[in-house]
Amino acid sequence: MNERFALVGIRPQIPAELSCSKKWYTGKPVAAAVLLGIIVLGCLLGGVIAPGDPGYMDLENCGVGPCRAFLFGTDTMGRDIFAMIWHGGRASLFIGLASAALSTAIAILFGAVSGCAPGWLDGLLMRLTEILLSIPSLLAVVLLQAVLGEASALTISLVIGLTGWTGMAKIVRAEVRQLRSSEYVIAARCMGGGFFHILWRHLTPNFVSSIMFMAVMNVRNAIAAESTLSFMGIGLPLDVVSWGGMLSLSEKALLTKAWWIILIPGAFLVVTLLCITSLGDYLRKNVNRKESNL
Amino acid sequence: MGEEILLDVRGLTHLFPLTKKTAVRAVDGVSFQLRRGEIFGLVGESGSGKSTVARCVMNIYRPSGGQVFYKGIDTCDPRAFRINRRMLQSTRQIIFQDSSSSLNQRMKVCDIIAEPMRIQHVVPPRGSLRAEAAFQMRYVGLDASYLDKYPPELSGGQRQRVAIARALAMEPELLVADEPIASLDVSIQAQIVNLFKHLQREHGFTFLFIAHDLAMVEFLCDRVGVMYRGRLVELAPTAELYTNPQHPYTRALLSAIPIPDPRRERERRLVPFREEDFPLEGELTEVGPRHFVLHERRRDA
Repeated sequence: MNERFALVGIRPQIPAELSCSKKWYTGKPVAAAVLLGIIVLGCLLGGVIAPGDPGYMDLENCGVGPCRAFLFGTDTMGRDIFAMIWHGGRASLFIGLASAALSTAIAILFGAVSGCAPGWLDGLLMRLTEILLSIPSLLAVVLLQAVLGEASALTISLVIGLTGWTGMAKIVRAEVRQLRSSEYVIAARCMGGGFFHILWRHLTPNFVSSIMFMAVMNVRNAIAAESTLSFMGIGLPLDVVSWGGMLSLSEKALLTKAWWIILIPGAFLVVTLLCITSLGDYLRKNVNRKESNL
Repeated sequence: MGEEILLDVRGLTHLFPLTKKTAVRAVDGVSFQLRRGEIFGLVGESGSGKSTVARCVMNIYRPSGGQVFYKGIDTCDPRAFRINRRMLQSTRQIIFQDSSSSLNQRMKVCDIIAEPMRIQHVVPPRGSLRAEAAFQMRYVGLDASYLDKYPPELSGGQRQRVAIARALAMEPELLVADEPIASLDVSIQAQIVNLFKHLQREHGFTFLFIAHDLAMVEFLCDRVGVMYRGRLVELAPTAELYTNPQHPYTRALLSAIPIPDPRRERERRLVPFREEDFPLEGELTEVGPRHFVLHERRRDA
């Protein structure tokens, strides 16, 4: 009898060992987190790992391949690539973090103002964002950098941060528009809460999950943008070591057989970017799952 | 109940624009007064404009017409509001219907209750804001162990108690409750209404209670106003209204109260109500002691 009827409405029996065998690390980007941790730690402890001036030119050992004395070899000017990697990573990571923080702050403020503003002001601010969004970001960066003059790690982060907030601002604005009519915001306004109180206490905690992914991606984009700028020769000055700057010096190395000059900084850059991407991807998936569980 | 008039609503009108030319008249010429320490109930069907009145009273909506006087201050006048902003924001509090949306899900209970004090920079009389929150929670019948919970972890009745505690934290003089019991189940409704009654006796705040549950309003309120399609059609002390309803809409509304006795419930007859029975134009006229009914204007003339 039972074979002829499919029973529905019965809770399916999940084998117990299946849920137990799931380890804590399933679905988590452990490899990416560990790799990124090592790279960040190495950059922070650059002076300990590779003591000495990374800019020191050992003219007797120009273009030496990886060996015992120079783990990653030396470049055409005799600088130790191993030391340059760890010192240059500092500049790259600083620019990534600083400009991402700057663009996130601008995006939250701009988006929240636009979301809370009356219709006409909201329209105006959003059209302004779209105009900025339509300018190719590299062009905007070059233009701003030309205005600011002498490049340093700070001005580069400023320039990249100032150009990278538009997409996030649109997301913040959409979220705020939806949140601002919720009753807890109305209640807070009745109690006399000001704009910044409501933004910080009520709006930000509720939309931070949806911009988390973009904030992490901003770090990646800023590191990549700095490398692009340095590679084109309009980034950091030559005496400041960064991964992008190292790549820009290595164009001539392509013609010789010195593969280590271009491959090693390139590999570090790509691995860092991939690790950040994978972390951001995990954050985005995690947020989506958490919201569907409510 | 004193004789001092705390809240005076005069000819309140509010329009919601639909398109550029048409608008919905949500509230139309509503006038009533609340004396200090009074519990005033506002009843009516869905869409009759009760909540809009509450929101106009709390300055959430700017009324299209009419005035709202609170302690003699015209709160709809931006200048008067700005001068008395702090007083208005700390002595008037509102409780919303849906406690799950009126509490921020990402804030802990203790932060939610202490929020008005934090905004107004009140020095907490019981030491810290956290101690103050714990005190208010005990007041509304919640255990202090809920202090570090988030709203989604609480039940509907507990959440509504948190919302009440937040409103009471500032020791308000006017409490506006916009259908505070409509989203709760019946046993919890009774608990919350009893809580309101106790708290009102303790604090002595003036209470504007909006509901569509007529039995609860009869139990809780001193005076009741009946709203229909944005108009106040009848206004009377509770006992008078429930024994001697004058307006056909009020009669129809009262006949719809279920009776908790099956035999009598079967015999209950609904009074049919047709819109054509009475025009909405007219004025409130006194038919008994403090009993006002909306009458057609030509009958007065």
